[in-house]
Amino acid sequence: MTQLIYLDNAATTFPKPRSVIEAMCETYQRVGVSPGRGSYDLSSEAQSLVEQTRGKIARFFGAPDPERVVFAANATDALNLAIQGIVQPGDHVVSTTLEHNSVLRPLAHLQAAGVIGYDLVPFDDRGFIDPDNIENAIRPNTRLVVVTQASNVMGTIQPIEAIGRRCSEKGVCLLVDTAQSAGLVPLDMTAWHVGAVAFTGHKALCGPTGIGGLVVHPDVDIQPTRFGGTGVDSKSLVHTGTYPHRLEAGTLNLMGIIGLSHGLDHIGAEGVGSILAREAGLAGQLCRGLRAIDSIRIFGEPEAADHVGLVTVTMKDKHPQDLADILDGDFGIAVRAGLHCAPLVHIAMGSYPDGGVRFSPGPFSTAGDIDAAIAAMAAIARF
Amino acid sequence: MTDAGPSRPMSGHPNRKVREIDGRRIVFDGKGFMRHPEDWSEAVARHLAEESGLPELNQTHWQVIQFMRDYYFYHGRAPMNRDLKSGLNMTLMALEALFPGGIREGARRVAGLPNPKSCAG
Repeated sequence: MTQLIYLDNAATTFPKPRSVIEAMCETYQRVGVSPGRGSYDLSSEAQSLVEQTRGKIARFFGAPDPERVVFAANATDALNLAIQGIVQPGDHVVSTTLEHNSVLRPLAHLQAAGVIGYDLVPFDDRGFIDPDNIENAIRPNTRLVVVTQASNVMGTIQPIEAIGRRCSEKGVCLLVDTAQSAGLVPLDMTAWHVGAVAFTGHKALCGPTGIGGLVVHPDVDIQPTRFGGTGVDSKSLVHTGTYPHRLEAGTLNLMGIIGLSHGLDHIGAEGVGSILAREAGLAGQLCRGLRAIDSIRIFGEPEAADHVGLVTVTMKDKHPQDLADILDGDFGIAVRAGLHCAPLVHIAMGSYPDGGVRFSPGPFSTAGDIDAAIAAMAAIARF
Repeated sequence: MTDAGPSRPMSGHPNRKVREIDGRRIVFDGKGFMRHPEDWSEAVARHLAEESGLPELNQTHWQVIQFMRDYYFYHGRAPMNRDLKSGLNMTLMALEALFPGGIREGARRVAGLPNPKSCAG
């Protein structure tokens, strides 16, 4: 065993493209001051980098206003900003059982606090949400629908455009979690009637950890839930009301923003469609190999169209955590075991509470890596 | 099997249980891992092993248990996968097969190490 085979890119892409790391370090070394807080040129230059990145993000998601690109720590942070800032006492929220705890826990918290009620729409046998079921769950007091664009367990790409149309017809804001899809699957906020998009930089966007954000459509208003310095209007004790400062407080993660910007450049050069096709192809190769092993159960149909490149499995009589430990210790293959912070998916798939093992190829995975993973799983099953 | 009293929820900690094994009151978490590895004894190990479907611990089992405990108390954490493989001179496949509960819920639990704080549960 000489080199790690990293198949946990759905958790975070690793390694990052060398061009991203090098450009991030070089730029930060040169311009790493507090952006927009000082009157000196270097601060203005740092602020320009921030604004350029807002513009890239807005174009990437088809958002009309770059000033409504708000930086956050990650998708979970952005989802909290959106959910807690949109709902009001007495509101109802519709979401799905496919969601990550980054959605489920804020909703559960708000319900426990007596602020909202919510309903979760189940997914079908293949892991897809039916837009009709979303529409049918909407009540007169529903203010928000929250849906993931790609499941982090099933890999299924959800029909966001159709869901957006239904939400628009009902006058309800659609918030989309793109943690698993941004950089792999296109999304057009304006054309698809999406009210807000939460994204993270460290997955398929190939940026570093610690940077993500929320993109807010001009038709949607989000109340701030954290307050502090914004670098503007300092005389006021009331938090700045204009975007993006409305939802940002404190010095921005400039290093992360620079890395995100270079990650977007990398994605743009590669092409979202070709990256997805390549990773989905590797997932298909993995599925074909694993289906030949009797003791393995594959969740859904990851090799089918409308899937990002990830495959979740269980092996008969093997605890998923032990299976992952064996893959790492004996074969040098890094995967993610457990519930993947999506417990309701595993309940629906009958794999709760132990969960499963998720293989997720990334930008630097090869067909040889997948062959090695198949051979390792076959060896474990035979042992 | 050594004497074991009934399992009781721990006041103020609904996910913890206190059990009396071999005359000791031992705190376990909701998944049956010991909260305090220093409460462990060989008698406790034999009891936990028997509960897991392993009526007798052989020399290899004891080597695994002792390695895990020595490593834990020396390094302040459980051995990583590569440490287990090199330290025990056996594959993790073999280690997994050695204990009915496997590596984490078998060997680690019988060795009295705390529950690994991963996203598994």
